[in-house]
Amino acid sequence: MSNFNALKHETRFMLRDRAFVVWTLVVLGFSSFAVWSGMAEVRQQRESIAFLVNADQQDRLAEFTKQSDWGSAAYYSFHLTYDPPSDFAFAAMGQRDASSWKHRLRMLALEGQIYEHDPGNPELALIGRFDFAFLSGFVLPLILIFLLHDMQASERSAGRFNLLVAAAVSGGSLWWRRAFLRSGGILVASIAPLLIAGVLSGTTFSTLIGAVALVVAYILFWTLVCLWFASWKRSAPVILASLIGVWVLLSTIMPAGSRAIIDVMVPIPTGAEILMTQREAVNDAWDLPVEDTMEPFTERHPEWTGYTHTGEGFDWGWYYAFQQVGDQTAEQLSQAYTAGRVERDRLAGLFAIAAPPALLERLLQNLAGTDMGSVLAYEGRVRDFHAELRSFHYPGLFGDAPFDPGRLADLPQFSP
Amino acid sequence: MKATLIIASDEWRYWLRSKLALAVVAIFLVILIFVSLLTAVRMQAESHERAHYQADSEQIFLSQPDRHPHRMVHYGHYVFRAPMPLAIFDPGLDSVTGQTMFLEGHRQNSATFSASESSANLGGLSWLTPALIYQVFAPLLIIVLGHGAVTREREAGALAPLLAQGLSGRILLAGKKLALFLFVMLLLVPLVVSALVSLNSGESQLAAISLVGVYLVYLSIWIALTLLISSVLEKRSSVIATLAAIWLALTLVLPAVAVNVSSHATPLAGKIETELTMLTEVRDLSDGHDVDDSVYNNVEAGLLEEYGADRVEDLEVNIRGVLAQMAEAELTKTLNVYAERRQEAEMRQGELLGKHGWLTPALAVAFASRSLSGTDLVHYHRFLQQAEELRFEFVQGLNRTHAEELSYIDDINRNRDEESWERARVDASNWQVLDEFYLEPASASVRLAGAGSSIWMLVVWLAVLSGMLIWTGGRLRL
Repeated sequence: MSNFNALKHETRFMLRDRAFVVWTLVVLGFSSFAVWSGMAEVRQQRESIAFLVNADQQDRLAEFTKQSDWGSAAYYSFHLTYDPPSDFAFAAMGQRDASSWKHRLRMLALEGQIYEHDPGNPELALIGRFDFAFLSGFVLPLILIFLLHDMQASERSAGRFNLLVAAAVSGGSLWWRRAFLRSGGILVASIAPLLIAGVLSGTTFSTLIGAVALVVAYILFWTLVCLWFASWKRSAPVILASLIGVWVLLSTIMPAGSRAIIDVMVPIPTGAEILMTQREAVNDAWDLPVEDTMEPFTERHPEWTGYTHTGEGFDWGWYYAFQQVGDQTAEQLSQAYTAGRVERDRLAGLFAIAAPPALLERLLQNLAGTDMGSVLAYEGRVRDFHAELRSFHYPGLFGDAPFDPGRLADLPQFSP
Repeated sequence: MKATLIIASDEWRYWLRSKLALAVVAIFLVILIFVSLLTAVRMQAESHERAHYQADSEQIFLSQPDRHPHRMVHYGHYVFRAPMPLAIFDPGLDSVTGQTMFLEGHRQNSATFSASESSANLGGLSWLTPALIYQVFAPLLIIVLGHGAVTREREAGALAPLLAQGLSGRILLAGKKLALFLFVMLLLVPLVVSALVSLNSGESQLAAISLVGVYLVYLSIWIALTLLISSVLEKRSSVIATLAAIWLALTLVLPAVAVNVSSHATPLAGKIETELTMLTEVRDLSDGHDVDDSVYNNVEAGLLEEYGADRVEDLEVNIRGVLAQMAEAELTKTLNVYAERRQEAEMRQGELLGKHGWLTPALAVAFASRSLSGTDLVHYHRFLQQAEELRFEFVQGLNRTHAEELSYIDDINRNRDEESWERARVDASNWQVLDEFYLEPASASVRLAGAGSSIWMLVVWLAVLSGMLIWTGGRLRL
């Protein structure tokens, strides 16, 4: 009973604490703003995708009316690929501001197209959004620090410390109670808007639970850090400065150091190498004997071994064969580029254990499908789609399927 | 004046006695110097690498053998975005913008391969640069050192005797301000070194000096703010807590909030969206007309008349090359209209973001810094524009070669047999139409003008806070 009374008493005391009430309202305001503008951004991206899907379709249909053979139909038709925002993207926009989540491709060499870059304004990407992931990862710890650092020091300087400790059942539990009640208030203020936005956005239940669990664990971590520092017998300014120092260390120094180390540890081919290799392969093919192109091509596609170069100088089949051979030539570099990014991301996940703010942000981005893994998965879907396009067109280009505009309606559709 | 100096030196003596203050400053300086060195080394390595690729790319283009000129139009060329000299201090948009672009006929491609797409993802603050340290973390240091400037005297009971001895509050504050100002000068040494290094790589003195000046004004704002709160509030613990909260709001929260607001208020159509809009509009315009035929007939008639010839074959120029030139010019005009529209929309969004500098000097200094360093949106657009100019020039140069150096007969018969295929070529010396790509920042005065509104915001911030500080100094009581 005494524990319960103590809790009741402490709660009453907390609600009269102006600093606590103000910070809780501030967090509530921040969180509401973060999820509201996240939802607005998601809506904008969905509208943009709807426009693109429609315009892309119209453009392709208009092009088809002018074409009379498989080769030009493939050459002049572009196809939209995109990665729609998930039902939790509103909470963590992650890579969507800096990496491309939409492409328009055709049947030429893919390596020359997949790296095209169409994100928004770089000025905005550089500063970064005020989304829930940023709020919880970077801003909340500071607010907890402001709120909890002087718990003991302020009582000490007011001369109440000994009295309080003597009156409590146990000195330790008094501070724990005080700290956890306050962090609990901050937690509720930050999570309530997230849950409401989650329900409005139809976020999967397990995703929301996962996000809440992450934030709870994260706030627990920072509360313990604050409690430990607050128990120092030093003045409040010294404790505050030290805690901010810890925040700078974990949010900035560790991540910056880790990133620099990882990028050196895992070298990746430069974009220039990939692009130039691919271009040289495609362009050299014009001057090489046809067999030089068709040999590596039929190695991949034995089913078209019977194909013979029909035209005198130019022939669509040969043309698309050397587009594919261009991709094949750059394949090793391209795979190394992808593998390097995978490895860098894996190491970043490991290093982030020593940088909790970055860790929380990464985990939330993972739940939101806006992390590096999601970018790579999207790239994989783009590659698969491009391969499907090739399989659709190759019978017309290398076999003897006659051109039939009606068949174009059966073109593979990109499904995100 | 003498009193001011005494107070300032007293303040320094107090800091030098405090082990904690010394430790904090020492750690900060070590990190700042370390990051300055790393950033300088990294950006210079980037600079060399991109210059090397640029030279390679030009050499590869020029060393292509004799071939059909239109082949070279599609062979294309690569340009690389070289970092500006001051990027060793403020790389700005470098990490979030593409480094290379493929230039070819009939298309305007995007700049590809930005560092942030392939680097380890560890949060926004992991892109630590000297500029970011000055913008976000140096204010913390000023707060740690300066928060007690007035409150300390008050808490120690020293304020009353000082004021009673006839020392005016203004002089007391002037002394504290001087102490902090000298400290800021010390903090700026690494920036000055970076600026000197950039002078060595061809940066103008005006830009380098203005950059140092902008950060001096910015950090002075934090001095004024710190002293103001220190004079107004009673307790040292509430002074530092208040200042830390202001720091959080101004450096971390408001800039990011401004991003959300700007992105929401001025939604931006991406490149694909702009292109699709263009294709739709162009298609609507040309609906129902067989433009190709009528244009061709007009050009043919015009050329026949000009050269007094009866047949296309008798023309002194290759009509296919002439048409290629016309088509490229026409298409480029349309593409440029939409590219400019998109860039203007980005600029408008950037300007709206920049206006939030009235709310937080951290955003104003970031904009001024990028602008002066030549690493802002204006300079990214300059890269896109200069690349486009180069593209249009060499493509048209090749089309001219197509018209003037390649006979029409050889051209149309090129697919007849192996021998005709060989004949439809021009000499490789024609590839010299490609110009060197050399990206330069805008002149220092243009950059300074671009930073003008942000600098103006900083000056107003400083003036208002200084005015408030002087007013407080006059009313300083126990």
